[in-house]
Amino acid sequence: MTVTNNAPSGPSPDVAGAGTDVEVAVDLITVVVDGVEMRVPKGTLAIRAAEQLGIEVPRFCDHPLLDPVAACRACLIEVEGMPKPQPACAQVLSDGMEVRTQYSSEVARVAQEGVMEFLLLNHPLDCPVCDKGGECPLQNQAMSVGRPESRFTGAKREFEKPINVSAQVLLDRERCVSCARCTRFAEQIAGDPMIELLERGAKQQVGTAADEPFDSYFSGNTVQICPVGALTSASYRFRSRPFDLVSVPTACEHCASGCSLRTDYRRGVVTRRLAWDDPDVNEEWNCDKGRFAFAYLNQGRIESPMIREHGSLRVASWPEAIDAAARGLATARGSVGVLVGGRSTVEDAYAYSRFARTALATDHIDFRARQGSAEEAAFLSSKVAGAPVSAAYDDLESAPAVLLVSLEPEDESPIVFLRLRKAARAGTQVLSVGATATRSLGKMSGRLVSARPGDEANALRSLDDETRALLGQPGAVILVGERIAGSVGAASAVLELARETGAALAWVPRRSGERGALDAGALAGLLPGGRPLTDEQARRDVAAAWGVEAADLPSEPGLIGADLLEAARDGRLSALVVGGVELADFADPGLAVAAVENADFVVSLENHHSAVTELADVVLPVAVVTEKSGTFVNWEGRPRPFGQVFRDALTMSDARVLAMVAEAMGSSLPADVASIRKEMGALGPWTGARTPAPDTAPGASADGVVIASWRQLLDSGLMQEGEPHLAATARPTVAIVSASMAAALGETVTISGPAGSVTLPVVTGDVLDRVVWVPTNSPGCHIHADLGAVPGTPVQLSAGGAA
Amino acid sequence: MAISESTREQLQQLAARYPRPRSGLMPMLHLVQSLEGEVTPEGITACADAAGVSAAEATAVASFYTMYKRRQVGQHHIGVCVNTMCGLLGGDAVYEALSERLGVGHDAPTDDGQFWLERIECQAACTHAPVMTVDWEYMDDVTPAAAVEIVDRLERGETVLSTRGPAIRDFRATEQTLAYPEDGLAAEGTPVDDKMLVGLRIAKEGGMAAPGVPAPSAPTGQEG
Repeated sequence: MTVTNNAPSGPSPDVAGAGTDVEVAVDLITVVVDGVEMRVPKGTLAIRAAEQLGIEVPRFCDHPLLDPVAACRACLIEVEGMPKPQPACAQVLSDGMEVRTQYSSEVARVAQEGVMEFLLLNHPLDCPVCDKGGECPLQNQAMSVGRPESRFTGAKREFEKPINVSAQVLLDRERCVSCARCTRFAEQIAGDPMIELLERGAKQQVGTAADEPFDSYFSGNTVQICPVGALTSASYRFRSRPFDLVSVPTACEHCASGCSLRTDYRRGVVTRRLAWDDPDVNEEWNCDKGRFAFAYLNQGRIESPMIREHGSLRVASWPEAIDAAARGLATARGSVGVLVGGRSTVEDAYAYSRFARTALATDHIDFRARQGSAEEAAFLSSKVAGAPVSAAYDDLESAPAVLLVSLEPEDESPIVFLRLRKAARAGTQVLSVGATATRSLGKMSGRLVSARPGDEANALRSLDDETRALLGQPGAVILVGERIAGSVGAASAVLELARETGAALAWVPRRSGERGALDAGALAGLLPGGRPLTDEQARRDVAAAWGVEAADLPSEPGLIGADLLEAARDGRLSALVVGGVELADFADPGLAVAAVENADFVVSLENHHSAVTELADVVLPVAVVTEKSGTFVNWEGRPRPFGQVFRDALTMSDARVLAMVAEAMGSSLPADVASIRKEMGALGPWTGARTPAPDTAPGASADGVVIASWRQLLDSGLMQEGEPHLAATARPTVAIVSASMAAALGETVTISGPAGSVTLPVVTGDVLDRVVWVPTNSPGCHIHADLGAVPGTPVQLSAGGAA
Repeated sequence: MAISESTREQLQQLAARYPRPRSGLMPMLHLVQSLEGEVTPEGITACADAAGVSAAEATAVASFYTMYKRRQVGQHHIGVCVNTMCGLLGGDAVYEALSERLGVGHDAPTDDGQFWLERIECQAACTHAPVMTVDWEYMDDVTPAAAVEIVDRLERGETVLSTRGPAIRDFRATEQTLAYPEDGLAAEGTPVDDKMLVGLRIAKEGGMAAPGVPAPSAPTGQEG
């Protein structure tokens, strides 16, 4: 007998690939469970074998993704030849072993009943007010395998309730059954052993060190896997009963990790989000941002279309607003820039892409609402857009070595971090090109390849032979983050390194929509599916799909990045269409504001009031992620389709709104997700010659002290608004420098850049000398606006200042 | 009290004694307890840093072992064994007498910070039951009156000797020895006496042996 494993799914962004069945031979043994003979792979646990027969042995501590611990004893079964019942969750089956569960063994049944009675001795009977009630394994298993009535008549143990394990995670100690799922998750999966079983013995309880809360980016998972109601989240506690919720499978909109989620809502409001089981992607985990940051969905929404009249915005009807947008854009046709937000669905991005090229007759389009370079655009167009899967999560797990370039996965793609940590625990060598060896890199047992900000290309081109040999092994992977755009020559050097070593190369953008927007052609010079705009065949394909003449499509690649913004600022572009973009996210927010201010006509498609809507001439409100269906494409290139949570929402997607504007302009666009997917699917990925790869000479780091920086997972991001408990678990805003620099600076440092200065507490870290690390966009330190800086910008440091 | 740089160096030295730094966590905790009279959160963090574990993991260790105290112990730690043998032979009465004399219950300090009273588990000294400990030094074969007298003398600042020889110092000094057992004080006095070896002598005289085990030869080791 053989068992089969599914390979990663296929490349096309519109449908999940069927995958290839790979046959893997494994050693099988014969065992007997409840009298049924079965063959299972060697090493199988009794509890898993029983599951395969549909036999559910009760359990609390057992979790398939955590190491067995046999802490709760609920799963006792009878094993032939053993004098006492054994825990099924830790019993490794050997050939010929005969085991009996509660279904065929009185010994097992009595043992389980006894354990259940024991676990319930001190467990309060507060199910009616407990958040877990209704979805509680303890409640369920007490009913299925416990005694009908307790014989315990004493006083139950009481604790002060609840205590804060962190600002977000609360603990009701009297409910805990000491299964150690949470502490094992923290240690084994997240690498954040900030919770432990304290006072082991009669007073055993989960707790933290006195002055170190459980501020893990992954803390919410412990709430989800707690098999009783001991751990609850401040955001959901006492909000709802599980049986009053409606659950919808969704995809996370926060980052390009691409987690499957379950969104629970009640009376038209999202009450919580959970990690959904997706073994190929997020396994059963997600990060706290994906779990808790959803309050923004209901806050600060734009409720109706608005148009500017006598200098100020006024509410308008949809027909009036659509008409105003269409007239203004028609006047500017051919001289319009389109800025697409990084969290658009692939369908919406496709609509912007087609809208720009047809209704607006422009190729001035860019989805990178952040620091972006022409070299990066060339890298993405030549290598990533519409390309087949080059590396998937599974490949990370099996890779002998993974090189990270301008990527801090715990902050910028947390599930990539979890998978890399899992890989590292099994032997994968993680390497990171950068200026600082973070605690996160330590959790992946990683090694730093030192490069001052700006020097990444040189570092990549002068890797030592040992590192090259690691990357030359079959299966090695290079992961590149969005910050590579800020380092001259780095993308070219990475391409060269991948060619030379044969390592797989994948781009891990930070935002959920960037890969989809790239695939959809929301970048100048690039049509959907990775088609070069300048390729005649590609233009003919796309024109046919869009029902236009190829000659009517723009033929010259348009402006991107700062060039596009400068053209709008200087009046060379007369209008802008801006969809879901935050101006402060650009490397030069002042330039972005000037661009929007100076453009004659600005149409903003937004769901929240923003700096753009303040300045826009027409504001068209669009749906948030719960009000529409769509697809995100994660860093692997894997489609993450999701359905509409609120089916009676009165809002429209960007694509639908654009279709209305297009129609008013005498053009046309598919308006609904199904039509767009069909059109994209028919176009498919480009198989012809791709745009040329960049070949930029390595840049060099500036002299003096330079900034190293990235966005922390929990920071000042707008989509985290309205969730103070989550914000309270964010890492403090500090400046990290080397020990020698810290000694010279003292407790605080004032960092001065071109646009201003910030004063921050100094923390000593494993950072290169003459480099100061600060967060990009955290409370008290927004490097673009406050300093006028990006990674690599030289800054002045002075000791002290009021932090 | 802040952990000084020299303490951090000592913690590093303890870590360096073992192939893996975390193995040194227990002597580290004794060291900070010897300096601070208790294991404080700052002390736990310092130990965790030196041992390369999280503060929560170090807290788990510090909160499991009863010899680590998270409140000021005071000058002297008084333990009374109340396990079966000692308890039956008068340990319970000794504890009651001390509790009344000191005005405190189990695992608590006196108001003046002089003493800490604790019911303790078996000290492997059943031969001399009931056993009391002062700063973890044995006081063998105590009676309630003798126990109270020991406390009286300690309170007056008199020199008190363990029944096995060593002079009682104070709690912090003992903790220092527990952090650095090689200071030579651990084997001070007469850890093994004739009474402890009576059983062995009788077995030898009678040629007794457990089935399959050679008959005992001359005693060499200490009582286990």
